[in-house]
Amino acid sequence: MNSNDAIGRWLDTAAARATAGLAERTSRRGVLARLGAILAGAGALPLLPVARVFGAEADGGETPEPTGLREFGDPQSCDYWRYCALGGALCSCCGGSANTCPPGAEPSPITWVGTCRNPADGKQYLISYNDCCGKSTCPRCFCHRTEGAKPVYFPSKSSNVLWCFGVESNAYHCTMAAVIGEAPEAEAADESAAEQ
Amino acid sequence: MTRAASAGAWRAALALLAICWACVGAADADRAARYDYLLHCSGCHRVDGAGEPPEVPTLRGPVGKLLATAEGRDYIVRVPEVAQSPLDDAALARLLNWMLREFNGDTLPKDFRPMQAEEVAAARRRVLADPLRARAAIMYSDAE
Repeated sequence: MNSNDAIGRWLDTAAARATAGLAERTSRRGVLARLGAILAGAGALPLLPVARVFGAEADGGETPEPTGLREFGDPQSCDYWRYCALGGALCSCCGGSANTCPPGAEPSPITWVGTCRNPADGKQYLISYNDCCGKSTCPRCFCHRTEGAKPVYFPSKSSNVLWCFGVESNAYHCTMAAVIGEAPEAEAADESAAEQ
Repeated sequence: MTRAASAGAWRAALALLAICWACVGAADADRAARYDYLLHCSGCHRVDGAGEPPEVPTLRGPVGKLLATAEGRDYIVRVPEVAQSPLDDAALARLLNWMLREFNGDTLPKDFRPMQAEEVAAARRRVLADPLRARAAIMYSDAE
């Protein structure tokens, strides 16, 4: 008898004892119930090792989108109401959404802010055009709308500037449009008068 | 109710109405100031004023201390992005007052007087060519 046989026999015995013990202590229903509880609970835990910068910002004082916001249009179309001054690729066509970056891309904390009118309720909203950075440019849904945007000599209101600042990589991936507030009625009236 | 008591009640009601009116006016001014902040400043200084140091300075905390001297008070209007903002003098004064109360309540001098449109108009005409040097000079003189 060689030593491999001895180890194999010891493993067999140990495994048989362990399974017999397990069978004595637990029922099949009990195992299923516990497994089910673990699987259901797993959804509540952040298991994927993805960058959660934007989530962290939201916890750290960023203004969440207004509750009860009525939507209008298709977020994967350049005509979508929030994109009235968006120049770049739509994150919603690249694995993200109208206000979240695609996985693996980092949202730039530095951005530019304009206003767009929501046809669903006729109100003006403040839109933050955050670029998502750190990956090569997404080749889908490229838009160029300029309502309220200014030429580059007014950089803080220019949609042509790449806004990948304050992030690890300056590589531009796509742009999202987050609603950060609603215009007071007086301001909205001024803007619609100025448009006429 | 006697005539005198009735007149007193009316006066009290009118005073209350005036106070409510003032409250509504102040709330409207705050809403407008916050809107201007979000539209013209928050893109770089972030919604909560934290900025992105060192490239984008924070507007929270220490900024309030600048208001302790006349030079510091002058400085926050003469900073290029403030002085050259697309806001008129009254709206800019309203924005600065809101910002200082909102972000610097703990460091603002107790005797802080709100900015007035005329003061803002005079200061913003003298845009700072070198704001970093001006700020260092103010902070250095403050330390002495």
